[in-house]
Amino acid sequence: MKIKRILIANRGEIAVRIIKTARMMNIETVVIKTDLEPNAMYLSLADIIYDDTEEATEIPVFLNIEKLIEIAHKTKANAVHPGYGFLAENAYFAQKCNENKLIFIGPSPDAIYKMGNKTIARKIALAGGIPMAMGSEGNISNEEEAVVIAEKIGYPVIIKAASGGGGRGMRIVRKPEEMEKMFIIASKEAEKAFNDPSVFIEKYIENPKHIEFQILGDTKGNVIHLGERECSIQRKHQKLLEEAPSIALDENLRNRMGEMAVQIAKAVNYHSAGTVEFLLDSERNFYFMEMNTRIQVEHAVTETITGIDLIEQQIRIANGEALMFRQEDIKLNGWAIECRINAEDVQAGFAPAPGIIESLNLPSDPYIRIDTGVKAGSSIVANYDSMIVKLIVKGTDRKNAIKNCKMALDKVWIKGTKTTLPFFRMLVRHQKFQDGDFTTAFIEKDIEKYFLNSEYEEMLAAWLATKLFVEENLNDDSISIDFKNGKDMSPWLLNKRINQF
Amino acid sequence: MTNNKLQVKKLYSLTSEKKKYSFSLPLKHSIRIGKREYEVKLKSDEKFGTYILWKNRKYPVEIVRSRQNKYEILFNDISYTFTVETPFSLQRMKVLNSKMGKAEKEDIKAPMPGKIIDVLVREGSSVLRGEPVVILEAMKMQNEILSPVNGVVTKVVARVNTNVMKDDLLVEIKL
Repeated sequence: MKIKRILIANRGEIAVRIIKTARMMNIETVVIKTDLEPNAMYLSLADIIYDDTEEATEIPVFLNIEKLIEIAHKTKANAVHPGYGFLAENAYFAQKCNENKLIFIGPSPDAIYKMGNKTIARKIALAGGIPMAMGSEGNISNEEEAVVIAEKIGYPVIIKAASGGGGRGMRIVRKPEEMEKMFIIASKEAEKAFNDPSVFIEKYIENPKHIEFQILGDTKGNVIHLGERECSIQRKHQKLLEEAPSIALDENLRNRMGEMAVQIAKAVNYHSAGTVEFLLDSERNFYFMEMNTRIQVEHAVTETITGIDLIEQQIRIANGEALMFRQEDIKLNGWAIECRINAEDVQAGFAPAPGIIESLNLPSDPYIRIDTGVKAGSSIVANYDSMIVKLIVKGTDRKNAIKNCKMALDKVWIKGTKTTLPFFRMLVRHQKFQDGDFTTAFIEKDIEKYFLNSEYEEMLAAWLATKLFVEENLNDDSISIDFKNGKDMSPWLLNKRINQF
Repeated sequence: MTNNKLQVKKLYSLTSEKKKYSFSLPLKHSIRIGKREYEVKLKSDEKFGTYILWKNRKYPVEIVRSRQNKYEILFNDISYTFTVETPFSLQRMKVLNSKMGKAEKEDIKAPMPGKIIDVLVREGSSVLRGEPVVILEAMKMQNEILSPVNGVVTKVVARVNTNVMKDDLLVEIKL
């Protein structure tokens, strides 16, 4: 193995995940300690910690290319794993690693660049005869042009950032009147998020399913797919729950879509792990959306049903090894579901809920896999994303996986911050979810209440409030309440107090 | 017993939606459902922290805030806000509420800490319910802050590229 020591240019759950596989392969890991999270869990698991806490800079070190290269050299790492997010899909970073004799554990800078630029990616897909939604030929320069093109394609349309991903810089436009405002918002958002204001327009497919294919390619030109993931459970283009496989696909459709995914990857000489995203409409037509040139958050569901460690494959491919599997070796066994447990308040429209994890109880049953980067005492800082735990549940089939998921969700106890747990407890009981009858519009359209609470839970909480009040206010010897503080209060003040909470 | 004290036989826990639960005093450690009484236990141990044991199931509980007679409780990861009232204070509250005039303005506040990315309204703009007024970025997500009412913007406090704390005033709207 050429790769001896990997610098992990990331944090949180994915840093922990990479360390686990590296350790199994007897490869050392280097992680970076930052002033935002000096006690983070990933630090305690790595072989070498580079202390960067003295550097108080505006941009996080995980986005600082020169600094990362410098750290890799100082710590004598000879490979870099970017994880997801941050610089994972930055072609310049991959290029810089290569120039500095560091093995970049990911695809080539050229493949990252081509697939990262959605306009170029569309052209490549178009040339390869991959089905796509109608759209603008290239980027749109102003709102007038946007109106003309949208008129030609037909509303509704979607504005997307050319350099985008993760749902940012995307706006759906249903009427010509909305175009100007939405164009400006999308373009501003794109500039802010990706340093590139260019946007393009595509026909908006109403109520599709989001189906993506995991692919693996080596540097010898072999590419295979590892089946699909169903990621339709999203809110504002942010995935919340993923499954593998998808109930919407049969063997025939799986093979057709998988072949297309492989074809796209081959068109850019792709190596490493990658994901080709498609939209699937109600008539089972599929459209190429984009390719993600990194390991995905939801990679664990694919690992669960294929038994293949994707991080290991990334490392082996980066090491120059040929793929260990051929397409016919890939077998999908059982069903896997992943719930992204985020520090968010489902009762307040999924608003981020940063805080400190006071206690954490995670189940360890054989059908459960937990990927996390937090422990009791960890703080969830507002600077990073809100995901704290990935709960991955396995079953023999979808029904069994849902049943196991229901049980697992009651075994996860996180105190100190609100989480998306009540959302998932509701979701796994929802008839339409159980039937597989859902699209990307599911959360916005089909759900009346975003969380589960049983009939009696509110009553039990009321009992607890009453108990606390009794303990604080009632005398031991008599059932009476001391009103010293309230009795002489002016109605105005009392009224204010009542409405303050 | 002094004049400041009052005999109480019952307490009410009112939710923010004014749903009312009543409990007789002294408070029993059981709740009646239909004809059966079910035992409620408030427990605490090292592994689980504080929890309520009811019908053989453990529910995690946290007391998020308590102030005067108001309690915010996290029960099985869902938060509930109660005001605990005696028959006397409940009566007084009803009287006070009926005396209150109807609100004429709506303050839109930041629902979470974050950074203002964009302000979509100006003073004097009319807004419709559900229309975005401010875009706030928090935890890598852009959140549209929507107007809960129809009205006219009377004051814009939010400034682009500034950080705000939870509950900071963003925009004032006259109904």
